[in-house]
Amino acid sequence: MKNQFQQTQGYTIIARWMQDKGMAPFRFQENTWQKYSRGYSGMVIAPTGFGKTFSVFLAVVIDFLNRPEQFSEGLKLLWITPLRSLAQDLARAMQEAINEIGLDWTVEVRNGDTDPLIRRRQQRQMPDILLVTPETLHLLLAQKGRDRFFRSLQCIAVDEWHELLGSKRGVMTELAISYLKSQYAGLRIWGITATIGNLEEALQVLVPYPGRKTRVTAQEKKKLEIIPVFPPEVEILPWAGHSGSRLVEQAVPLILNSRSTIVFTNTRSQSELWYQLLLEAWPDFSGQIALHHSSIDSHIRHWIEDSLSKGRLKAVVATSSLDLGVDFKPVDTVIQVGSGKSVARFMQRAGRSGHTPHEISRIYFVPTHSLELIEAAALKEAVRTRTVEDRTPVVMAFDVLVQFMVTIALGGGFRADSLHTIVRNTHAFSFISQEEWQWCVAFITTGGTIGAGYEDFHKVAVQPDGLLKVEKRRIGMLHRMNIGVIVSDAMMRVKFTSGGYVGMVEEYFLSRLRSGEKFMLAGRVLELVRIKEMTAYVRLSSGKGITPSWLGGRLPLSSNLSRFLRQKLAQAAQPGVRDPELRFLHPLIAGQQEYSHIPAEDEFLVEMIHTREGYHLFMYPFEGRLVHEVMAALIAFRISRLYPISFSMAMNDYGFELFSDSEIRLTEDQLHQVLSRDQLMQDVVSSINATEMARHKFRDIAVISGMVVQNTYGRQKNNKSLQSSAGIIFKVLEAYDPSNLLLKQAYTEVFNQQLEEQRLVAAFLRISKSRIIYRQATRFTPLSFPIKVDSLRQSLSSEVLAQRIQKLQNSSLKPGRKTKP
Amino acid sequence: MNITEQTIIFAGEPLLLTNQGVLFWEKQQALVLSDLHLGKAAHFRQNGIAIPSRLAADDLEKLGRLIGHYQSRTVIITGDLFHAGSNKETDLLTTLTKGHPGTGFVLIRGNHDRLPAAQLHSLGINAIYRQLKINDISFTHLPAIEPDSFTICGHLHPGVAVQVPPYRTLRLPCYVVTPRQIILPAFSRFTGLDTRPVMPPATRYAFYEDGFIAIPET
Repeated sequence: MKNQFQQTQGYTIIARWMQDKGMAPFRFQENTWQKYSRGYSGMVIAPTGFGKTFSVFLAVVIDFLNRPEQFSEGLKLLWITPLRSLAQDLARAMQEAINEIGLDWTVEVRNGDTDPLIRRRQQRQMPDILLVTPETLHLLLAQKGRDRFFRSLQCIAVDEWHELLGSKRGVMTELAISYLKSQYAGLRIWGITATIGNLEEALQVLVPYPGRKTRVTAQEKKKLEIIPVFPPEVEILPWAGHSGSRLVEQAVPLILNSRSTIVFTNTRSQSELWYQLLLEAWPDFSGQIALHHSSIDSHIRHWIEDSLSKGRLKAVVATSSLDLGVDFKPVDTVIQVGSGKSVARFMQRAGRSGHTPHEISRIYFVPTHSLELIEAAALKEAVRTRTVEDRTPVVMAFDVLVQFMVTIALGGGFRADSLHTIVRNTHAFSFISQEEWQWCVAFITTGGTIGAGYEDFHKVAVQPDGLLKVEKRRIGMLHRMNIGVIVSDAMMRVKFTSGGYVGMVEEYFLSRLRSGEKFMLAGRVLELVRIKEMTAYVRLSSGKGITPSWLGGRLPLSSNLSRFLRQKLAQAAQPGVRDPELRFLHPLIAGQQEYSHIPAEDEFLVEMIHTREGYHLFMYPFEGRLVHEVMAALIAFRISRLYPISFSMAMNDYGFELFSDSEIRLTEDQLHQVLSRDQLMQDVVSSINATEMARHKFRDIAVISGMVVQNTYGRQKNNKSLQSSAGIIFKVLEAYDPSNLLLKQAYTEVFNQQLEEQRLVAAFLRISKSRIIYRQATRFTPLSFPIKVDSLRQSLSSEVLAQRIQKLQNSSLKPGRKTKP
Repeated sequence: MNITEQTIIFAGEPLLLTNQGVLFWEKQQALVLSDLHLGKAAHFRQNGIAIPSRLAADDLEKLGRLIGHYQSRTVIITGDLFHAGSNKETDLLTTLTKGHPGTGFVLIRGNHDRLPAAQLHSLGINAIYRQLKINDISFTHLPAIEPDSFTICGHLHPGVAVQVPPYRTLRLPCYVVTPRQIILPAFSRFTGLDTRPVMPPATRYAFYEDGFIAIPET
């Protein structure tokens, strides 16, 4: 029986078109079309490869076919996608469909790559469907004629909403939608997302407006197979380092037996290393494999992506740079080197192989140390139960807000009251107070609430009629150049002395090298010749080079995955365990059981190990390196309150170590005391340096809010007198304007992101409910050894600053990076 | 203001390095400093970057107190007195120069000092040079790789980064002292630091509120 909707002309035309192509609509697509036709906004939840694009896009087409009188000339569907690279292909697919259906609509892309000619034409006459990124949408809002562009807009679709949701780009999207919604109340807003933990919240963030809204979930599921790669033998003591290089030889046949493979690593340095190792292990790969990460020249990256689509490459070693983006049809194998860090990321990477709806995505998991095999078991469990992480939406990002306010002031101005309402209507700023709003207005009009000399400040000017507008051309230009929230490190180009461009490397890495030193980039060993004006000149070299260790390469282990890890480890100790990974690890598990203990799910293991070197205190919260860093500092601080003692610290994703050459005396009672939940955050604040952490966080905030002019290559000259590092501005604001909201935001971000306050509190709650198992040992246990090996030493002492400085007179002075001028 | 001093012998002369970013040449009653970057905050503000505007006044006030403390007859600024063109902040200099009529203000022009001489004079600068030599010591703005005479200069904003575990890098301004050259720290608070390693032999005298740390490079 056909329902009423299925009898409409629009539906009939589309259904017939699909039939002609040998396709039938999925249930979720039909549901979306129907809901859309009834005026709903909403969110489509579907795995990649099942035609989620066609759910929302065709919904608009069907609506048009059914009631063309409601549509007028101009832009009808605005399609926001987080990825530039996706836009072209999507536009092509949409245009093809439209042509076949027989409409005269045009589909166009607008982003940084768009030809200026086309851009100008778009400004005069918008296409029927426009694909943009959040950044280009904001740039459109910064145009004088912005109201003309959107007059006939019916629908805003946000593709890959899960990718935007947890980031400041999500806030940009929210603000832009709220602005457009305030102008055109009838707009329908549709999101498209993969499965995440907090779908209801995701919908509320995207569509916080009253009116009918719905979630459409595809029943189809992507089949996923996780195949762990077992090392030749299990080693009681795991191998050192993070490279997992001994498993390269096992990866080679996987690549040889596949059509095309993506090898995912977690850091750029690891990818450089694996690329080298693969070439050494199988020299015939030369010319057939490539390296892809964000420091590689974008032209080379595009060439690699193109070659991968055309099946010309046997394998690509990549970082998260290839997590997202267009499908590479020939890719039938994915290899993950080392921890996947989160269930969502792991599934996403697996999904890069086997694209068509009913193919299976296969992912091989190569552990970098034996224990990581537990993670394979944990991931399988998480994938089986589809326990995917939440994406926590960003709120109260004042840096994004002030940027947006200037954007709107630039594109024809605004009235403070009406913009206030628009901002308050978003999820991100639903709790903004009157004072905070006033502060933001003051920030862009008078340069802040602190200090005299207001008349010197020129950004947004209040017109006699109350309109807030940007008057100066130069301010407008500066602002347009800096719209966006993706802050990159100051990058330096790397070029051969003979000409030819290799890629980009962070300035701070290069500034530590001296001429003649060698480093690796883009799979080559390069010798630094000289640095001149943001360009490093190099020549090809051979031998060993330093691999740049890029900051921020460390992804946190998700709390989801860590829960499964604890669970699997506990199961490993039980007789009759089923998981092949855990059975394989049996010698190691038995060793841990013999010398110490395997913690059950309701236990918390602490090991005190006395060796010739000194005293080691190990704890295993399994909360990921970031949380462990904070916990280690906290526990060290609490012990040093009991009696004076200095520690050095080491940690990995599973646990942490406090090391001291003097005896660590800790009774069971005292242990409970240092693991207590009482005064948790106060002690955390005393044990770490929040100011220093906030200073780091302020870097992005300063750029986004326009306080630091980004050092873009080729343009920095014009703005040289406006260059200043975020660190200096942070220092100045701390001294002169401590109540600055952007400064406060930096501290909030430290607590939410760096210290992961919620997670830390939850971890201590769990520990307080657990039985604490306190074991002594005289040798390293299988659990402790990787931490020992992986040690990134940090030493803590609870002395005051002046004493510290005294102490430093004789000790570790390291060259730092340059921030001048 | 807790002034601490460190005496060094340079070109056979005893010179006082202070933890306030100024060097005092006792025999000449001369206060030497560099890179004041007056007008920087105002220049930023004019371009829509909301830097608190009290910075410059504070820097100048501090300089005034130092002139008083050392009873200096001459103030030598080895370049980058001004950050950009003239603005309200640069005018503040007049207050300082008028307040110390017995003190001569000498500017060694730096790459940032683009104001015409007449305007500099009207702000109270008594003499302007590209390079100045007093006895055996030359004053320039730019450091030289191999100076051919004893030189005091600025420009680089030298500093050191000291790792203080955990999570901490202290960044302190410093003087770079080599057998033939002294590179002065930037006097302004609103400037960055160049913490790259220096070529030996050199000693970096880093300073903070209560004293000095000497870091020799041999």
